Amino acid sequence: MAVVQTPKEKYPPGDFAIWIIIYVELVTFALLFLGYAFSRRGDVALFNESQLMLNQTSGFINTLILVTSSYFVIKAVKAITSMSEESVQEANATASRWLLLAIGCGVAFGFIKSAEFYHIFSQGIGLSTNKFFMFYIMLTAFHFMHVMLGSFILFVIYKKTKNAGYSYGDYRGIETGASYWHMVDLLWIVLFPLIYIIR
Amino acid sequence: MKTKYLEIVWATLAALTLFAYLLGYLKIISTAFVALLLFTTFVKGQLVIDYFMGLKGVSWKYRMIPTIWLVVVLSLIGVAYYMPV
Repeated sequence: MAVVQTPKEKYPPGDFAIWIIIYVELVTFALLFLGYAFSRRGDVALFNESQLMLNQTSGFINTLILVTSSYFVIKAVKAITSMSEESVQEANATASRWLLLAIGCGVAFGFIKSAEFYHIFSQGIGLSTNKFFMFYIMLTAFHFMHVMLGSFILFVIYKKTKNAGYSYGDYRGIETGASYWHMVDLLWIVLFPLIYIIR
Repeated sequence: MKTKYLEIVWATLAALTLFAYLLGYLKIISTAFVALLLFTTFVKGQLVIDYFMGLKGVSWKYRMIPTIWLVVVLSLIGVAYYMPV
């Protein structure tokens, strides 16, 4: 029996410009990750001691929240990309429900991260405390801003799905926003073990 | 791509995240475990790249960019950790 292979799509999903942004973001964060990893070599004891002041459980919960939100987002994307001309309303409604869950995850991440920052800052710890906390605050605050922007983007897409704004064959917008959100997830997947676990 | 794979991907990501957390929480992270942790981080990242970002089905040159990023970053983190001070 002849095996029929599905030809690969040429380009990544979403607008091509978002991928340029994603690649730039990945390089920027890579420099910060490596800055942390190699700076740690200069004073391993200080980094290990400072790391003990972090709440690993909140880092773990936030990781679970982000990977779960990514799952919700891809479910929303699948609802839109697999719609037929007859199921436009239904597909948009399904996607909006998944997106609402994903936005909820983004908000939950924000609350947990804010509580973690409050705990750290209330102890008088800041950017100038030591090199570990300089990297910790820079990396996590920078990432936090990406989560907030990503949540806003998801909200805009959610509003469009609520108005049944995506039609058959028109799903570049949702794919673009979803790609950005998955990048935010990918960055945290590297950040979590690097900052919270490895010692 | 069948959507049932998405549930498997999510469960794998959650399980590997729990594994990483337990290594830290139970304070059993050691020199040997760091390599394993970096490998599981690569698996998690690649799952996100392939199935959530949807790059598994696109031209290899676009798929390779984030994969190479992941390999380079995690390898250099490993070098920074294991290289003698």
